Amino acid sequence: MDVRAQLVMVFNLDKCIGCHACSISCKNIWTDRRGAEYMWWNNVESKPGVGYPKGWEDQGTYKGGWVAGGNRLRLRALGKVPTLLNLFFQPNLPKLTDYYEPFDFDYGNLYGAGDADDQPVAGAFSQISGRKIESIQGGPNWDDDLSGSRLYAANDVNLEDRGIVEDYGRMFLQYLPRICNHCLHPACVASCPSRAIYKRGEDGIVLVDQNVCKGWRFCTTACPYKKVYFNWDSGKAEKCIFCFPRTETGQCNACAHSCVGRIRYVGVLLYDTERVEQALLEPDDRLVEAHRAVILDPRDPAVREAARKNGVSAQWLDAAVNSPAYALVKEFGLALPLHPEFRTFPMAYYIPSLSPVLSVEGESHELMEHGLFPEVDSMRAPLSYLASLLSGGNRDVVAAALARLIALRVFTRAKNLDQPVPGGVLERAGLDEAAAVRLYRLLTIGGYGERNVIPAQQREEQDPHVRKGAGGFGILKKAGRRK
Amino acid sequence: MLNVFIFVVLPYAALALLLFVTPYRYFSNRLVWSAYSTQFLEQKALFWGSIPWHYGILPVLAAHLVSVILPGPMKAILGNPRALILLEDIGQGLGLLALFGCLALLLRRLRTPMLKAVTSAADLALLALLLVEVATGVYMGIFIRGGPLWYLYTAVPYFHSLLAFNPQVEYVADFPMVFKVHAAGAFLFVAVLPFTKLVHLLYLPVGFLKDPPILYRWRTSKTGE
Ligand code: SF4
Ligand code: SF4
Repeated sequence: MDVRAQLVMVFNLDKCIGCHACSISCKNIWTDRRGAEYMWWNNVESKPGVGYPKGWEDQGTYKGGWVAGGNRLRLRALGKVPTLLNLFFQPNLPKLTDYYEPFDFDYGNLYGAGDADDQPVAGAFSQISGRKIESIQGGPNWDDDLSGSRLYAANDVNLEDRGIVEDYGRMFLQYLPRICNHCLHPACVASCPSRAIYKRGEDGIVLVDQNVCKGWRFCTTACPYKKVYFNWDSGKAEKCIFCFPRTETGQCNACAHSCVGRIRYVGVLLYDTERVEQALLEPDDRLVEAHRAVILDPRDPAVREAARKNGVSAQWLDAAVNSPAYALVKEFGLALPLHPEFRTFPMAYYIPSLSPVLSVEGESHELMEHGLFPEVDSMRAPLSYLASLLSGGNRDVVAAALARLIALRVFTRAKNLDQPVPGGVLERAGLDEAAAVRLYRLLTIGGYGERNVIPAQQREEQDPHVRKGAGGFGILKKAGRRK
Repeated sequence: MLNVFIFVVLPYAALALLLFVTPYRYFSNRLVWSAYSTQFLEQKALFWGSIPWHYGILPVLAAHLVSVILPGPMKAILGNPRALILLEDIGQGLGLLALFGCLALLLRRLRTPMLKAVTSAADLALLALLLVEVATGVYMGIFIRGGPLWYLYTAVPYFHSLLAFNPQVEYVADFPMVFKVHAAGAFLFVAVLPFTKLVHLLYLPVGFLKDPPILYRWRTSKTGE
């Protein structure tokens, strides 16, 4: 057992209102600069939809992630020798227009324009070439809320029945906020011939060393979530850094901090490094269980001992015990990994959305009058869709999570109305009253300190020489192209 | 005079720049050490430029170097006229491939508006230099036959004399102008290498071949052994 700790984020999709406050705060802090205009380390997609970059989930096109062949994993894109042979041109690299060409508006024209018969306008121009853009072809979140679109939503690879997007009685919409998953078996790390990308041992954050990166771009292709971006100005790869300057000091990530829906949880998970690869060899529909098996119980004395031996501090072990992520991912099995079948072992987890609770067959007001919630498989967002998104096609694990959420609602509703709790409702979902109360708090009224349990870095345990070098103002040298 | 400049001053100046500027650049700011790929902004023309260029030029460059490093074995191989003709033809083909690629790259830079923002004067000058280099190389291949052989018996000993710090210009002094342009271009290439994005070819990404796929780094000294 080789126990390590990682900070992970959990998203409660039920509560995401698609406001993009998360994306904006991330952009303001990290990517509001030349070469990074088009990057959204945090982005929020409308589902069904094609996402950002367009169609990222389609690995037939982008060739991201790993495939399990026999008893080993290999990168879907390129092996080691083919990597060297493709240094000069990458067959599956996404291009700028797969994201969008960043633009701004010429506001100066509004007050600088000369006399004319018409009002002056602020025309759009490209932030890269500087040329005027007559008609904008794409932008951040271009298919926002277009879940009924034949152009976008119908091309969502998770849809079993594409007709659903045009059938008013059945169409549905939900949001999917995405950051880098800081995977346990990151394809981006493995694909880098310069070895510039690495996973931090202490907290699992995956980073690109800007000094080492030579801009070979294999990571951009290899990440199945398309969360490594190529900076066209500095010629290097960049990605979400999990706000490490914040989390190291115990503050939560900017996206989580600004989240209007309070849908995000940040906490510690302990995992067994030795079991990761084996778990990823399981067939698609067993991957969620395999994931959960790799995540260890922070109360288990053997686990704690092994963790201590690996240098996980007491403070981190405490945080692991109180971790909202552990409760949601493992203890109650509510949160699921995004596309586990990409086999990078993503460490961002999603609680599938229950809403809208409208049943296809029934009338909503009748349901409400009877104090009932719809059955799992009569819910608006098809189970097959959620299973394709969050469980490698395994409907049972999604259904179990949804059943728990429904039981929780039935229980809480009865409590709130001072009515008797229908018999066996919690038990059938594998919960008891204490668990239900705890989950209720966590999912609804839990405050900042309950949603985010982030242990700071143990500075006193670090080598003073390392600490001295790491405690400055960051990189002050100039990046970019030499002109 | 010209001979001394091209065959003595230039090579030593280029070597000095390479040896001293490269480490300076490495230690001063590696944030500007990149291949500066533009594939992200433009892909179609790049395919027709970058692939022929690299697959053409790298073997040709390697052949130039192998003759300098292993003149003995090369003499043995080229002693066989069939091998000589074969190698010469392959080299010629690769040269033409590189020429095509280089031309495509230059045109692409000039004709794609999106690339304006990422194209510096140095990029264009570099492409022009490479174009001259390849064009003169291909020209000599066609009009001064037996290239691999005469290169081995003239340029190679000249290089050896350079490396021994006893430059013997006689070996190459009587070549026509096109050869001198080619040589000057080559030394110029070495000279500008540390100043431009060409530094990317000083770094061969081969370390990853033997590594396990997932790289961990530890900040604390206690953990991870
Ligand atoms: S999501 Fe992509 S970029 Fe992030 S760790 Fe995983 S493979 Fe790497
Ligand atoms: S801030 Fe929160 S609620 Fe708003 S879009 Fe982002 S994740 Fe959703």
